[in-house]
Amino acid sequence: MELYDLINKNKKLNFIDAKTKVTKTLQELHESLDIEDLRAVAFIYNDNQLPSIETFLNFYQKKYTVALLNVGLHDKFKQNLEEEYMPAYIYDPSRIEVEGYDLKQASKNISVFKRKAIRHYPIHGEIKLLMSTSGTTGSPKFVKISDHNLVQNALSIMEYMPITEHDVVPLNVPINFVYGLSIFTTNCIKANTIVCTDSDVLQKEFWSDLTHYGYSTLSGVPYFYELLQRFGFFKKDTPSLRYLTHTGGMLNKELANIIADYSQRFNKQFFAQYGQTEASGRMAFLAPDDFQDKGTSIGFPVKNGRFEIDENTGELIYYGPNVSGGYANNIFDLQDYNHSDKLFTGDLAERDEFGYYHIKGRIKRIMKLFGFRLNLDEVEVLLKNELGGQTFICISVQDKYLGILHQDEFLLRETITQTLKENLGLHASSLKTYYLEQVPLTVNGKVDYPTINNTIDKNENSSITIKKVIG
Amino acid sequence: MSTTQELHQVFANAFEIPLESITPDLEYQGIVEWDSMSHLLLVDELERFYNISIPMEDILEMGSVDKIKEILKKNGVEIQ
Repeated sequence: MELYDLINKNKKLNFIDAKTKVTKTLQELHESLDIEDLRAVAFIYNDNQLPSIETFLNFYQKKYTVALLNVGLHDKFKQNLEEEYMPAYIYDPSRIEVEGYDLKQASKNISVFKRKAIRHYPIHGEIKLLMSTSGTTGSPKFVKISDHNLVQNALSIMEYMPITEHDVVPLNVPINFVYGLSIFTTNCIKANTIVCTDSDVLQKEFWSDLTHYGYSTLSGVPYFYELLQRFGFFKKDTPSLRYLTHTGGMLNKELANIIADYSQRFNKQFFAQYGQTEASGRMAFLAPDDFQDKGTSIGFPVKNGRFEIDENTGELIYYGPNVSGGYANNIFDLQDYNHSDKLFTGDLAERDEFGYYHIKGRIKRIMKLFGFRLNLDEVEVLLKNELGGQTFICISVQDKYLGILHQDEFLLRETITQTLKENLGLHASSLKTYYLEQVPLTVNGKVDYPTINNTIDKNENSSITIKKVIG
Repeated sequence: MSTTQELHQVFANAFEIPLESITPDLEYQGIVEWDSMSHLLLVDELERFYNISIPMEDILEMGSVDKIKEILKKNGVEIQ
């Protein structure tokens, strides 16, 4: 595996587990688990602690196709995924048993579930990694990513990211998100110390670890930076910190200005980036020097990548060696890997007179809730299934809230919020529910999303409840 | 004097969950409703209800219901 070999060449690399304080060098993690070398699927439910990272590296180094998943995924969804893909191995620190699997001690401190009767089915040789497109909705849809994709993505990022061989890097974005994985791969190739952690900005441990380990960099989605701001982070210097990276949508103007001032005053670099799971990571970045003036732009494509804007639709199209091999919805889709360097991003973009690219909106029915993406069509199906088959319409409200529209006047908001909380872990405060008597339809009889979006937007702005207006 | 019952009601409002599900041993990230997003909502609710302003460094200490009682006390609100 080329990516693994690149990491393995970094002889200084070591890992610290922030919770247990265990420190291991890469050599100590190398082939540390007693597992066979199979061409089969392995599921890793990641909690970002050192044992998860160790298990991931061990499976990646062998012939396995590894699916990186969120450990917090609802058990029901885990079961569905496992029924569909029948993984030979499962690593899941949150469960003590899995039906049809034996718990096997793979090293002194790591146990994995091994399937009792391993099902052999064909998997294309280039499918090395499976990443979920939805994160939380438990849809069996995976993006098929090759080792080559990951290497190309890492190398293109390393062209601009100021990683040094002395750096101490926290995994403060989980590696089961493609952004977190990019941070992981690039720093494993070049940096010195990786701090495995799952603590967040609202925990004391995050702040004490920041000082204690002397983080060289921090990464996050806009919400992460909003929290940093609330903590007064940008008012003072954190001497160990050299640069910050971001992805997952635009920062609000005020925050962007604060960060621009902070970078200037304390000599930090801020890298705004643009990426997608389908591109195995990053597609574009904005150079730190441009952030002050061009803060709303995604900048330019990464090395070996290029953009095109579709003349008719305005859709941003990306070309590059990191474009993944398509989707898998079931095991049969694992038989092929689509070789293409072209990706329809689903985003609407414009290129300004200086050549900078700007994202103007989305074509796909996908929204970012706190930086992480949510497929609105999948949420609609989930609600329909869970709540007796009635129709729900899900929209993004000002890119901040998930809006849920329904036609049942007796349906309680609590029922909806409870369902989404149980299934997707979404908090009620990020949900807006609306009752409407009639759903606006297009001439073809389809749900007229643009009209609904406009109406809701207008009313949110004028703070009149939608109930009065549409209902 | 404020009561534990009132405090629990503030929690229930912030997390949009029933009052009965608020227990004294509740911890940050111990339930899905108490995450990094709702934590700040809880702070807002507490500040509004008790008419106080909680300093940022205290917010980091608010890891459980008991800890929050201590923080409130520090900020002049005694819970009986």
